[in-house]
Amino acid sequence: MIELLTRINNSISALTRVHRLLPWLLAYLLLLPLPKLLEFGISDYYIDLANRACLFILLCVGLNIVKGFCGQVTVGHIGLYAIGAVSSALLSLNYGLSFWVSAPFAVLITGFAGIIVGLPSVRLEGAYLALATLGLGESVRIMIAVTPALGSSTGIMLIPAPAIGDFVFDSFERYYYLVMTAAVVGIYLSFAILRSATGRAFQAIREDPIAASVVGINVNMYKLLAFVISALYAGLGGALFAHMPPGYIHHNNFTIIEMITLLLMVVLGGIGNIWGGVIGAIVVTVIYDQTKEYYFYQPLIFGISMVLLVVFMPRGIGGLIERKIVKQKFIKQHEDKEIGIA
Amino acid sequence: MFKTSKICLGAVALSFMFVSTVVYAGEIRIGITMRMVSENGQKYGRMMMDEIDIINKAGGINGNKIVATLMNDECKSDKGVANANKLISQKKVHLLIGSSCSSVTLPIVAVTAKAKVPQIVPHSTNAKITKLGSAWVFRVPVSGRFYAGVNAKYVGENIGKRIAYICAADAASQNDCNAMQAQMRSQHGVEPAYTVQVQEKEVDFRTHMQKIKSNNVDGIMIAALAETMARALIQSYEAGIDESVRRIGSSSASNAPVPKIAGDAVKNVFFAAAYAAADKRPIARLFNEMVRERYGIHAPDHDFSQAYDLIRIVEIALNNANLKLDGYSLADDRVAIRNAIAGIRNYQGLASGPISFCLDPSPVCRDGNRTAVLIGYTKGGEQFETEVLARVTMPLDFGL
Repeated sequence: MIELLTRINNSISALTRVHRLLPWLLAYLLLLPLPKLLEFGISDYYIDLANRACLFILLCVGLNIVKGFCGQVTVGHIGLYAIGAVSSALLSLNYGLSFWVSAPFAVLITGFAGIIVGLPSVRLEGAYLALATLGLGESVRIMIAVTPALGSSTGIMLIPAPAIGDFVFDSFERYYYLVMTAAVVGIYLSFAILRSATGRAFQAIREDPIAASVVGINVNMYKLLAFVISALYAGLGGALFAHMPPGYIHHNNFTIIEMITLLLMVVLGGIGNIWGGVIGAIVVTVIYDQTKEYYFYQPLIFGISMVLLVVFMPRGIGGLIERKIVKQKFIKQHEDKEIGIA
Repeated sequence: MFKTSKICLGAVALSFMFVSTVVYAGEIRIGITMRMVSENGQKYGRMMMDEIDIINKAGGINGNKIVATLMNDECKSDKGVANANKLISQKKVHLLIGSSCSSVTLPIVAVTAKAKVPQIVPHSTNAKITKLGSAWVFRVPVSGRFYAGVNAKYVGENIGKRIAYICAADAASQNDCNAMQAQMRSQHGVEPAYTVQVQEKEVDFRTHMQKIKSNNVDGIMIAALAETMARALIQSYEAGIDESVRRIGSSSASNAPVPKIAGDAVKNVFFAAAYAAADKRPIARLFNEMVRERYGIHAPDHDFSQAYDLIRIVEIALNNANLKLDGYSLADDRVAIRNAIAGIRNYQGLASGPISFCLDPSPVCRDGNRTAVLIGYTKGGEQFETEVLARVTMPLDFGL
């Protein structure tokens, strides 16, 4: 398995040397026929599952920016997701805007909300920051729940599906192309951020904020920037969720349980590891789906998994794979060196 | 050796995925999605499964077994929609039952309409469910539009017109509250004396109760889920509001946790429901006894009776539908079941009144029960007691 992953990793590196976008383009092309394969090979239900996994990937990758790259403990991400969903839905329904206009507006609104959620990070750290962001996230949900204009108790119904001309994204299969594209672009941008000067500043803050400020990094600004970028991801995820057939959102979709599920995905995949977030989102979505009929034990399974992961696999699946690949590379380099000496 | 075992493992995993999607001919598949998180919620679902087991043990439907799959939607719309998708696309169900919560049933209506799968609603009362105009949805419980009319008529004629409202933020309570206020306006021409919206799981009502007390109202309508309602009732007495001020419950006042938690504070509370445990009919007595024995429930609420009635209606419809069940007839069988449910007329079960459906996709045809029974609590606590105050049948197009 690790050998296979190492080979894939080497192939990706080789493709990147030709053009840095080439592996992404290839991955995108490989993912395009997935709905057809699932529809004919297994069941079209799995396309719906893939759509939900893509949404979670987008959320996890966004959460990883603030939590994994920048080291800020946030538990309010689900509130931002809610803002994105409600904003896009209301802009579409009340002002007749198409998804292509309402979604970018919703992303911008969520970006501004990200500043508010991120503000406590200037003064607070660790558990205190977690509590502050949790409060903000939960108050968003409560506000939606008690405001009739925001859907209140009955939720927001009949949110139109996105369309390009006559092509309406109103089925699982059609929507897949939209959410999958968003997820792939989201992952790519996340890697781009990680490799940029901004990404390095985030990591410096995560390792030691004082040392980071000593070398000239504006710690407060970068912390806020991490929250804003993360919020943009959540906003897009929310907009995509709102317009996904059957086009219905309710404040119960944004509770603390959803936030914990999101955290589980990130922790399982590996905090600070982009691919880890992707793996975590897929694994948790699939496990949740496959254990649906055993709902009595579901919370227990997820709770115990979270504890065991934190204790025995703190870097998650992504961290584990990364370590194995690095080890493999090291052994190979060492062997090559020995052959060279001989 | 290691490689071979990995290939075998992969093949097993793949075949597991395939097996989970394989459907069999000669069986009637029913999918159920419900809120299986509360103590009673689990028992409603359990009762449906038990009743289906009994049908199977008695020989099934015309010799065909019913295969039922029960899923928990946690009263969350996204999970309910995912369950519905899974049951329809993967389990290939002939009929979908669900959900308990209106906020989950509402989006599922769009899913079943698109997939052309008959859906029968066990508990959701929100009037919008049938107003969406789906040709595939049927509702067993009394719609919120009828409850409001019954309550408003009784309140205006027997209690008074100065009513305060405490409305929780869940879909059913909001619907009950808004509909009651609208009916008080249209039937008696009065505005609420006091109204406030609280959270779904609010714990502190004391400020509101003090304001209500100073307003000298004739009655307080508390529209909330069971636990929240019980808390509000207790706090209304703690605030010193006299017992002459009648407490009016929303549809969830019939749920057993209300009298259990509220204790004596539940005395004189009345509400409209679809079933009264105090019903003297032999069928109701037998049902009460059965629920007591099987599930340890002192007096079943209307969610129990509706779950039971629903399975009986489904049984009648399946017996009447000319099902082929040959593996290629899924779409035809779904249409046949839809039409058979639409053919149900004057079903007399545990419900407060007869249940009838018809084919037109309008609330007139799809809100099966339009008779609400007004029930008053005479004793609270574990061994609570109720009495039937009135039974009112509303016109078919009431509240449309």
